[in-house]
Amino acid sequence: MRLPVAEASTLRRHTAGLLRRHRRSLSGVVVLHVLAATAGLAGPWLLGRLVDAVQAGTTTATADRTILVLVAAVLAQTVLIRYAQRAAMVLGETVFADLREEFIATVTRLPLSTVERAGTGDLVARTTTDIDRVQYTVRFGVPRVLVTTATTALTVVAALLTNPLVALGLFAGAPLLIGVTRWYLRRATSAYLRESAAYATINGTITESVEGARTVDALSLGARRRRRLDADLREAFAAESATLNLRTVLFPGVDTSFVLPTVAVLIWGAFLISTGHATVGAVTTIALYAIQVINPIGELIFWLDEIQVGATSLARIIGVADVPQDRTEGTARPTDEQVRASGVRYAYRPGHDVLHGIDLDLTDGERLAVVGPSGAGKSTLGRMLAGIHPPTGGSVTVGGVPLVDLPLDGLRGHVALVTQEHHVFVGPLADNLRLADPSADDGALERALRAVDAWDWVEALPEGLATGVGSGGVALTPAQAQQIALARLVLLDPHTLVLDEATSLIDPRAARHLERSLSSVLEGRTVIAIAHRLHTAHDADRVAVVDGGRITEIGPHDDLVAAGGDYASLWDSWQRE
Amino acid sequence: MRPLPLPDPGHPPLTGPWAYLRWLGRRQIGVLLGATAVSVVGNVAGALQPLALGMVVDDGLTHGLSSGLWSGCLLLFALGMTQVGANVWGHRLEVENWLRAAFASSQQIGHHVTRTGDAVTDTLPTGEVVATVASDALRMGEVFSILPRLIGGIVAYLTLGVVLLTISPPLGLLVLLGLPVVVAVLSLLVPPLQRRQAAQREATGRLTTLGADTVSGLRILRGIGGEDVFTGRYREQSQKVRGTGVAVAQTQSFLDALQTLLPGIFLAVVVWAGARLAITGDITPGQLVSFYGFAAFLTQPLWTASEAIRVLTRAVVGARKILTVLRVPVAGHDDPATPAESPDAGAELVDERSGLVVRPGRLLAVVGSDPDESARIALRLGRHGGDEDDAPVSDVRWGRAVLRALGLTEVRGRIVVAESTPHLFTGTLVDELDVRGGASRDDLLAAMRVADAADVLDSVPDGLDGEVEEKGRSLSGGQRQRVALARALLTDAEVLVLIEPTSAVDAHTEARIAQRLAEHRRGRTTVIVSASPLVLDAVDEVALVEHGRVTVTGPHRTLMTTHPGYRRVVSRSDDDESPEEVTGHATARR
Repeated sequence: MRLPVAEASTLRRHTAGLLRRHRRSLSGVVVLHVLAATAGLAGPWLLGRLVDAVQAGTTTATADRTILVLVAAVLAQTVLIRYAQRAAMVLGETVFADLREEFIATVTRLPLSTVERAGTGDLVARTTTDIDRVQYTVRFGVPRVLVTTATTALTVVAALLTNPLVALGLFAGAPLLIGVTRWYLRRATSAYLRESAAYATINGTITESVEGARTVDALSLGARRRRRLDADLREAFAAESATLNLRTVLFPGVDTSFVLPTVAVLIWGAFLISTGHATVGAVTTIALYAIQVINPIGELIFWLDEIQVGATSLARIIGVADVPQDRTEGTARPTDEQVRASGVRYAYRPGHDVLHGIDLDLTDGERLAVVGPSGAGKSTLGRMLAGIHPPTGGSVTVGGVPLVDLPLDGLRGHVALVTQEHHVFVGPLADNLRLADPSADDGALERALRAVDAWDWVEALPEGLATGVGSGGVALTPAQAQQIALARLVLLDPHTLVLDEATSLIDPRAARHLERSLSSVLEGRTVIAIAHRLHTAHDADRVAVVDGGRITEIGPHDDLVAAGGDYASLWDSWQRE
Repeated sequence: MRPLPLPDPGHPPLTGPWAYLRWLGRRQIGVLLGATAVSVVGNVAGALQPLALGMVVDDGLTHGLSSGLWSGCLLLFALGMTQVGANVWGHRLEVENWLRAAFASSQQIGHHVTRTGDAVTDTLPTGEVVATVASDALRMGEVFSILPRLIGGIVAYLTLGVVLLTISPPLGLLVLLGLPVVVAVLSLLVPPLQRRQAAQREATGRLTTLGADTVSGLRILRGIGGEDVFTGRYREQSQKVRGTGVAVAQTQSFLDALQTLLPGIFLAVVVWAGARLAITGDITPGQLVSFYGFAAFLTQPLWTASEAIRVLTRAVVGARKILTVLRVPVAGHDDPATPAESPDAGAELVDERSGLVVRPGRLLAVVGSDPDESARIALRLGRHGGDEDDAPVSDVRWGRAVLRALGLTEVRGRIVVAESTPHLFTGTLVDELDVRGGASRDDLLAAMRVADAADVLDSVPDGLDGEVEEKGRSLSGGQRQRVALARALLTDAEVLVLIEPTSAVDAHTEARIAQRLAEHRRGRTTVIVSASPLVLDAVDEVALVEHGRVTVTGPHRTLMTTHPGYRRVVSRSDDDESPEEVTGHATARR
């Protein structure tokens, strides 16, 4: 399943809401920038007056006074820009901090079933790439758009005030400018996204070649990997060429639209001077304005482009909030600790049931092994029994209450799912354990680690429980990571555990050690172990063989062996001496 | 534009960063020269526009639509359009320069890491190698894209220098000497800003790591709780990032203000001096306007110069990092100059350190009390893993030859070792499987059947032609392992060594794979490291490894009855358990 992306209307509403929340500082920023831009207009205006004055014959004293005004304007602009820029950047930082914190808060509240099914790849991309892209836009783009818009608008206003008739010449390039920019912006976003995707692919290919260097060497895949990189580079080149072609239209279009106003102002101005409607100074001023406005407009176009790209990322960020919650908490509380499944069906796609009405009664403290071929529905059944997905038919209850009606905190105290996936979070080891019980003291952590046979190596770490682990910290082996996961379970203390091939990805040697850790965690709990190792099944109180979404055999190991079914023949080949 | 990447990546000198940069430059010298020529034309056309504007102000504006106006405006328009043309053409050449240098470097690195084996991961962290492509290669591009712009700027600066000095020597000197001082002062302010930006980037990097980390572990977080702790942690770091951002805003806004102040004041000085000269009649009002324009124009090449210094500094650092990767020796670099004679197809493969003998055409399993030890033996058989713990190089013998005396290419071609958790690569399933090329679809499907991987064909959209995602993420652990097994089988190697090929699959599947595998490899030399009775039962013979030596060899069933030590290892019982318990399985671990 894919995570949603926000619609354009949601995006607009969200952005408007964000801006409204920061209304006050936003208006402060706008006012400061308008004032700064106004001060910046003094140069051409004063120079125009000087040209008129010189032509009319003037004194150095008058010229000096004009220059003093110019210096004053520069000083004013300096101070205003200092505060305007700072306010704009601080605003950008604040808005962006709000945005990303909100996003993480939303993500960590995503429904369990969504997280289990969508996987984390897409979410990681949204947390890293998309957040980065929006960051660039918000951090640099928003302030610059404010500046450039204010400057452009005010320059036009100043020109109109200087001489409205002459100022009309400024618009000579406008149709071309607007036309070519619109043409470009309509095509730019997808082209630049293709480009950045192409570079991401190259980085992915390099990462794979390096991480898989042993495999590349062992299977002589070198030539194949080189061809792959060359193909990636070809795609990046094609993407670069595409954006370059867009700019090959944009640049001359925009540049020409900048040449036209200057020439138009001069010719039109000369005509107006001859009819007595303008002075040489006014025409000079407006011609200089026409040149001065080139940079802000160019920059504005650049940012419009970036903002478009940022908006697609923003849509992916706020889209996560559109995932509906999959459970509604009821008020009923379990009367005992017995887990029971009756008539459980599940379909990932309507009409394609992977579980066909499973009935299962677990007795307190029982150990049930679930075996069966890949794709038989074992893991799906495990997720139903752990209350992760609401079943599409039937129910799974604990003490008479459907698991999916329990509040999440309550559910975790009853049933927990342990998978082959393990993750060590960045931060102190103690924090990794306290996830399960924020109130646990160091003594409790030590007891939990001792229970899973992990205290010895934790104690030997440079800073014991306080040692930083995870990416950038001390690297833990997969087996150690799995022990941490088990210690969390000890702290969480649910009465029922669902183990989904919890030790399967670990090398056999470590698995043996881990099983010892595991057995102490399992002590006194009801356990459903989805297993691919038959000795696990042999150790269990009952074995359930799942095939084609149904339980085909269930009973104690010895009974099943005696019954001579599917399980018996498998056990026979395993056990044969 | 010549399509990239170039078919021949070439061989860069590895002596130093400057030699590397020169090598890159020579390979694109034509584009560089073209870009430089265009840049010179564009810059000069831009530089001369204020001159034309001044001419219009002086001679064109006061007489209506006069010939002076038309010729001045025509000149202005011609200069403007020349600049328009040079801009777009120059941009295209600039991008080509950028792409050539950046792609050549990416290609060098990307090709090199496929030749080194794990020497590259032993020398450098993966992240650093990727960074050379993701960032350092792009720095190479920057050098060659800014170089033509720099030269064009310098020529424009000199041209204007002549013009300015002709119009008014004092004012010309003021502009030509004053402006570099202004830009130099501003350049001095860039490093402190960059330091703060670096601090901000670092804090942001930590925040991204924290976010990615939280999301990667989201299943666990949602399974056992702790969401609030993690949002709290993220918020804390996020506020730190905001703090560093505010610090950047302080410096950046200060720099922005100075960028307004210094050129602004300088311009005021130019206007002041120019106005006095204009009042005394030394220059015309139009020339005053020109000077104003020149002073504004000339900041551009000076900024380019200051930027070019930064780009070059970064590029030298980047080139050094690229060279670190390129200097990692390629696998087989220590091959003997004249390889020993090739062993015949029927040669025996012997690991002398453990005493393991691999007889041709037989299916041999290796089982040990220490699986790591067994895996090490298997790796040695394929000449993997380098000269660990100063082992004598004559460790493995193949027929009459010593494995290390053969060419690595020959060894890799004839002996294939597949590890327990091999790497799957992004691409179609066909490409993933058919590593040697030339396998028919029937061969592929047959190998998939042996590995019992038919369910993979159903789960990947489009089956064999479907895409496997990066690292096979879309597949389950067991599916990944079975695809890797099929891939190893398809190499059809003369000697195939499989390490724990079924450790992540369920018992039903494992039983099927063991049978089919034995069938498939019948008559061809195969070594399997495994402790699973289902696999051991299917092979011709089993070698038991204890403390690094082979202690007994024989068929699984015979050893199970005759050798208690073997039984202990295979039954996966604790070492301290009594023999009755082991055979009876009555009190397995609880």
